[in-house]
Amino acid sequence: MTERLAMYIDTSKCMACRGCQVACKQWNDRQGYVPGVRETHNVGTYENPLKLDPQTWTRIKFIEYDDGERFQWLFMKEGCMHCTNAACADVCPTGALKYGPYGIITFERELCNGCGYCSQFCPFHIPQLEVINRLTGEAKSSKCVFCQDRTTNGLKPACVKTCPAGALDWGDRDEMIAKAEARVEVLKNERGFPKANVYGKTQLGGLGRIYVLTAPPEVYGLPADPKYPAISTLWQKIVQPVGQAVFGATILGLVAAFFVARRNVHMEEVE
Amino acid sequence: MSVRLKGTDSAIMIRWIPKYTTVERFLHWVHTASFIPLALTGFVLFAPWLEPLAQGAAGVTIRLIHRIAAVFFGGVPIIYAILQPRRMVLNLKEFLTFSQYDLLWLKGAFPYYVLGRHEEMPPQPRFNTGERLTAIVLVLGTLIFGLTGLPMWFLKGVMPVWLFQLAVIIHDLMFIITFAMFMVHFYLAVVHPMMWQSLVSMRYGVVSESYARAHHAMWYYGEKRAKEMWEQHRREAGH
Repeated sequence: MTERLAMYIDTSKCMACRGCQVACKQWNDRQGYVPGVRETHNVGTYENPLKLDPQTWTRIKFIEYDDGERFQWLFMKEGCMHCTNAACADVCPTGALKYGPYGIITFERELCNGCGYCSQFCPFHIPQLEVINRLTGEAKSSKCVFCQDRTTNGLKPACVKTCPAGALDWGDRDEMIAKAEARVEVLKNERGFPKANVYGKTQLGGLGRIYVLTAPPEVYGLPADPKYPAISTLWQKIVQPVGQAVFGATILGLVAAFFVARRNVHMEEVE
Repeated sequence: MSVRLKGTDSAIMIRWIPKYTTVERFLHWVHTASFIPLALTGFVLFAPWLEPLAQGAAGVTIRLIHRIAAVFFGGVPIIYAILQPRRMVLNLKEFLTFSQYDLLWLKGAFPYYVLGRHEEMPPQPRFNTGERLTAIVLVLGTLIFGLTGLPMWFLKGVMPVWLFQLAVIIHDLMFIITFAMFMVHFYLAVVHPMMWQSLVSMRYGVVSESYARAHHAMWYYGEKRAKEMWEQHRREAGH
């Protein structure tokens, strides 16, 4: 089996410094504050930006959660999950998104034609389409690639390297799972988080992000059981092959019909 | 029009009957000139083995051609409705009119078009059963292409993703149906030896009197007379 690497994300240790967001933008050359273009407005939350966008591949989500017993302020690092069964890579007609080494869903921007299927089929709504011109359809997809240029050369992703709280780690996926499970036991038994759990171990064939959560996944906006889009399977495994078979059969049928008709039709009788 | 036969004094007189208006013929060819690029560029995203054509700048161009052609394709029915609304309504009504002869036509179509046996074909109005079914699929197809294509173009990221996914698959299904239909249409109109007059009619707007009599008797003779002739023909043939 080829080695599968994963990102370990311990939300209980995250202090929302957002150093990961900054490091991501720096390494991947994403825009931050651009006067007149990308500005920050206070809308009553520390969360910033308010959602992923083509320039923001990862961000810390702020969640205020009251479970009835106590109030928690939760921080969760959001970004591409690098699924084992990745709908985005399956629907991509260009091969810009593909299953790369170490289980990373890599992205080659110059191959992307901007169709945006990835953004519409991802169960986590992660890929962001940078629409350059709505009318002509010119666009580019954009998402976290686990710093493919770093990680395929033995380095850690920029966000992991910068995290000062020890909330992030990078390494062999099985080791990351073991680390997460051990951490969950500590949180449950010693730190008073009875609902602590590991997320990402089994979802969609196993995610490339292994989360340690202190509340149920839904609280973070993570689907407990994300579904691979059924329409993607129907589309690519049935409709496309059947369509090509229909076209082939029609052509063959017409060629055959032509030769039969040519033998049988007497042109002197044709009106 | 008269055709003088070589080396003789005799001439063949052909009476031509108008079938299509100039606007209809022009729009038919605009439709053709937009449908083919639409189908070819759509096929690039449809067939995985055409991936190299979908990549990067080539893919951007292909998607742009698809959009430009779509404007013409969608413009055809709109221009038609503006220029000749009465003809459009007349045609739509004819498309939706079916009779007992249509089942007979469907039964006779294969022996007729493939084996060349035309004696069993029942009388047909200006459009035969196959043409009317094709036209209905085409009208519905154009609507569905528009209703799925325009949102995918302008509302991507705004509309719910499940709706987008549904639009993608419906657009593809419609493509399979209409493109297969187009190939049959092309075969019958351009390739098939018996149907040489269809190209003439789409170029000059007319069909010959003998063609109209043989293929569209209910149009040529009127419904009542054509039916009487068909019944008589059946009696004589010993049915």
